[in-house]
Amino acid sequence: MSLRTARVLTCIYLALAMFFVTWPGLVPFARIEPLVLGLPFSMAWIAGWIAGSVFVLYGLDRVERRHRDGEDS
Amino acid sequence: MEQWVVVSIIVGAYLALTLTIGLLAGRKSSDSVTGYVAADRSFGLLVMYFVTGASVFSAFAFLGGPGWAYSRGAAAFYILAYGALGMAPFYWIGPRAAALGRKFGYVTQAQLVVGRFPSRSLSALIATLSLIAFIPYITLQIRGAGIVIEAVTEGHVPIWLGSLLAYGIVIFYVLASGAMAVGWTNTFQGVFMVVIAWSLGLYLPYRLYGGVTPMFEQIIDARPDMLIPPGLTATGEPWSWGAYSTFILVSAVGLMMWPHLFMKAFTAKDDDTMRRTVILFPTFQLFLIPVFLIGFSGVLFSGGPPSADFILPYMILETGLPAVVVGLFCAGALSASMSTGDALLHASASVVVEDGVNQFMQLDDRQQRLLMRILVLVTGATAYYFAQDAESSLVLLLATAYGVISQLAPPVISAMYWRRATTNGVLAGLLAGTATSVFFYLNPDLKPFDMHEGILGLIVHIPVLLAVSFMTPTQSEKHLEGFFS
Repeated sequence: MSLRTARVLTCIYLALAMFFVTWPGLVPFARIEPLVLGLPFSMAWIAGWIAGSVFVLYGLDRVERRHRDGEDS
Repeated sequence: MEQWVVVSIIVGAYLALTLTIGLLAGRKSSDSVTGYVAADRSFGLLVMYFVTGASVFSAFAFLGGPGWAYSRGAAAFYILAYGALGMAPFYWIGPRAAALGRKFGYVTQAQLVVGRFPSRSLSALIATLSLIAFIPYITLQIRGAGIVIEAVTEGHVPIWLGSLLAYGIVIFYVLASGAMAVGWTNTFQGVFMVVIAWSLGLYLPYRLYGGVTPMFEQIIDARPDMLIPPGLTATGEPWSWGAYSTFILVSAVGLMMWPHLFMKAFTAKDDDTMRRTVILFPTFQLFLIPVFLIGFSGVLFSGGPPSADFILPYMILETGLPAVVVGLFCAGALSASMSTGDALLHASASVVVEDGVNQFMQLDDRQQRLLMRILVLVTGATAYYFAQDAESSLVLLLATAYGVISQLAPPVISAMYWRRATTNGVLAGLLAGTATSVFFYLNPDLKPFDMHEGILGLIVHIPVLLAVSFMTPTQSEKHLEGFFS
């Protein structure tokens, strides 16, 4: 994956996360059931976007690091 | 022995241990100006992770978080939503600010902004805004510490004395050891907070309701309105989507503009450690889940604390936990308060001296250090005075501060990423944005869609910054080259 693609994808993920944890993106998911791991649905939904960002940022870091190593050599 | 005595002994031992770590850390640092830099250079990923987590999450998260879940239900989810979003852009901004800092010798974000947009008034304005935002934030930490101590000693140590004790210790080690103490005590306190939040947050629902699922099933039966975002207001009315969404937005924008957090970019020498801290930060953020569970466990519990901010100490006292366990939990809450409070006190003094006073008079190194120490005392005393006001909710105190601090985002971002921005544009935007948010803070009934005054400030701030910048001449190529090459 190119550096540019990785950066664009990361920004898209962050923008989507912001959209889906606030109005109006959260409205369809602002409900209690089904409980996920015992938590109300909307709480698990928000936590899911937070947890997902770890993987997205990790993926971005792998691409960025490969790019930086390429520059050095 | 009575329970409150045992608890007090444990809390006392915890405070003594913190003080010892703080003072020992100071003995390792050579002098107080470069000590912080040296400390951060030696910080590996794990230490950096806990330092960042502990300084972001404070009494606000540890006491205010459960308080909101308990009294306002799903409204508390806003606290969960913003942290990771606010931190993520720092993956790029952090190393870039660090590179500029190394090149030009910056140690505060105002120096970065003023380096690009030379103006003493701008520097003084940023220092003033930072201080205005710092005071409620420190007030909140001090009040949090007092609340915990008053609750667990069953009122034998009132808020005024408890907060005086805890912050007397903080001020002592910040004065004696400077920032090295902040770094090392935060690591210790960060570990403490995470362990305690997770164990208590999973244990309380289990003990009272037989598990997390049965707890929420019972709340669904009794108070379903609580669990649907945007939750409730402090008086139990439904909260507005406008307020809920803009609270998230303003907190995400403001998070990394806090001088005590942004300055980590200048002190962490290793960019990779900084980037990995950003990547891992959301995992720390998830500790808010058990923190909310603590608050929710109180919803159906008979009786209640005098104020929602007391819910965490109230629950652990009322559920008949052994005194030793109660003591450890209280130490965890104190950790949250003190680990942020020390960083705030230290940063506020540095900012006022570096960006405010230093711009207008020449001080030598020794005078600067003396002035910083006096300021730590004065700021601490001012915040302590406000902390005695029983009317203030912890979360609202902080949300107010975020409105001010988020106005620093456009100048900082323009300084690093927008070549066409001009000094006049930045200054005009900052003044207009600040005036707008102050206006709506004072006239909350006029807010369109119940939006947070900080966002309303930004809505005015950004167009003014753009318009005035385009109306004034571009900065010279030579000047810009230093920032964009």
